[in-house]
Amino acid sequence: MVSPYLIHFIVFIAFTLLASLYFSFSRYDMLNAPQWIGLENYNKLINDPVFWKSLWNTVYFTVLFVPTQTILALILAVALNQSLKGLKFFRIAHFIPVISSWTVVLYVADAIFNPRFGLANDLLVKMGSQPQQWLNDEALVIPVLVAVAVWKGIGYMMVIFLAGLQNVPEDLYEAAEVEGAGILKKFRHVTVPLISGTTFLVLVLSTITTFQAFEQIYVMTGNSGDITAAGGPNNASMVLMLYLFQQGFAFLKMGYASAIAWVLFLILFVITLIQVKMQKKWVHYEK
Amino acid sequence: MKKNPNKRRKIISYIVITFSAMIMLTPFITATFNSLKTYKQYTAIPVEYIPNPFRWQNYVEVWRMTDFAQYGWNSFIVTVLSVLGALLSCSMVAYAFARLDFPFKNSLFIMVLGTLMIPPVVMIIPQFIIFKHMGALDTLVPLWILEWLAQPFGVFLMRQAFLSIPKEYEEAAKLDGCSPLQTYWRIFMPMCKPQLATLTIFTFMTKWNEIMAPAIYLSSQEKFTLPIGVLSMSGAWFGKEQYLVAAALMSLIPILIVFFFTEKFFVKGASSSGLK
Repeated sequence: MVSPYLIHFIVFIAFTLLASLYFSFSRYDMLNAPQWIGLENYNKLINDPVFWKSLWNTVYFTVLFVPTQTILALILAVALNQSLKGLKFFRIAHFIPVISSWTVVLYVADAIFNPRFGLANDLLVKMGSQPQQWLNDEALVIPVLVAVAVWKGIGYMMVIFLAGLQNVPEDLYEAAEVEGAGILKKFRHVTVPLISGTTFLVLVLSTITTFQAFEQIYVMTGNSGDITAAGGPNNASMVLMLYLFQQGFAFLKMGYASAIAWVLFLILFVITLIQVKMQKKWVHYEK
Repeated sequence: MKKNPNKRRKIISYIVITFSAMIMLTPFITATFNSLKTYKQYTAIPVEYIPNPFRWQNYVEVWRMTDFAQYGWNSFIVTVLSVLGALLSCSMVAYAFARLDFPFKNSLFIMVLGTLMIPPVVMIIPQFIIFKHMGALDTLVPLWILEWLAQPFGVFLMRQAFLSIPKEYEEAAKLDGCSPLQTYWRIFMPMCKPQLATLTIFTFMTKWNEIMAPAIYLSSQEKFTLPIGVLSMSGAWFGKEQYLVAAALMSLIPILIVFFFTEKFFVKGASSSGLK
């Protein structure tokens, strides 16, 4: 009965891992057989400015996105974790972006960030400021993408936190109230330590997925699905996954793309190790 | 004195979530109005937020003048086949892990755990090459076939569900002469409907919205699924962008309907995915 998984593992995981490692040391255009070239792909990578730029952009995106979404989702979850009227409505409102595809988000976000007639610029002009180019502005493109990503994903993370909060016993809050703790103190000294396990998990998972972000940037910075057009302006939103895709599927440099994949894999591995080390320090375990 | 902090907390909470819900919904509302405009209204400055009258025929024209129906049909096929595959394969593998004894069971389960840790990025290119050799490029097959091979998230979800069923059911079934396969199908599956529902909805959402795989595997227009189909329209519909907004919103409607009826399973799935 486990045979589906066995096939899955042998063909699509074990084999693909080995193949991808082999490709990363080869020149491979998919027309001719892969040709072993040793470390050449990795050497080229070290001297490739676009690779470094996309690595930097990936880190920048992740550093902006992960903490912002985590903190805001936690605040929302705390606000929703009580018997409120209209709870279902609020939950649904926060989940609609979650169930939307990035193509839907592209046009929905355009209603706000369109440089000519979007809501954001309209408000800016009405308040007397300069209109912005948003996704066409090298300095603003990543912050805008991050804002949209937070908007899209926050409902999902909020629900994960809500599940964590439901495990916090109510009497701890009552005890804190007896000692005179206010809302902020209770949040800091009761809520935060008790859901640190959930928070840790959320941080690890969202860092890993954000490092591999592709669909949003492909859709929102590209042009009708043309992969070579995405990542602009001037590579300002080029991230590692997008670069990998361009090199592999647009320019058929499968060996080079595999090398990018393995560098990304190593980075993720190191980040996860660091996070696991840090877990012992600040995750609170009940004795 | 004791009631006061609670009341204040409620008021602050209402303010926070109302504000946040407004941020969530405003873009959708604005986009919906955009989809009901003429191009002149769509690009008008100063901005005309609420068009008068609503041009509902934008939606009709998208349906009539584009391949929207074809894209929708492709998305439907991919989604349905994926859901079926995920339900069958994940529950079967999970049942074996939860209830049967077989050689290397524990090491195999550790392998499942391990696969969750491998970032998909290293597997994309070789998988593409496998499908190329299978002659499956530019077909819908690569988009759903992997779901028939037990993805780890579903295996976990179903294994947890099966583990929580008391042993007595199994023993009773055995006494009645049920084989393991019958026990799985007749007794365990019906008892785990909530988890099966969660798995259905999650697979539905992932596949309906997927962009990466169709962008890699599909090249001819008539094979496109909705997300990349609508995305690909933008070149040809220059100067008629309001139709694109209508097309995008139309692609959201099916999943929105599913969501409204199954909201609680969505929430369950999201919270259990945090615990994987």
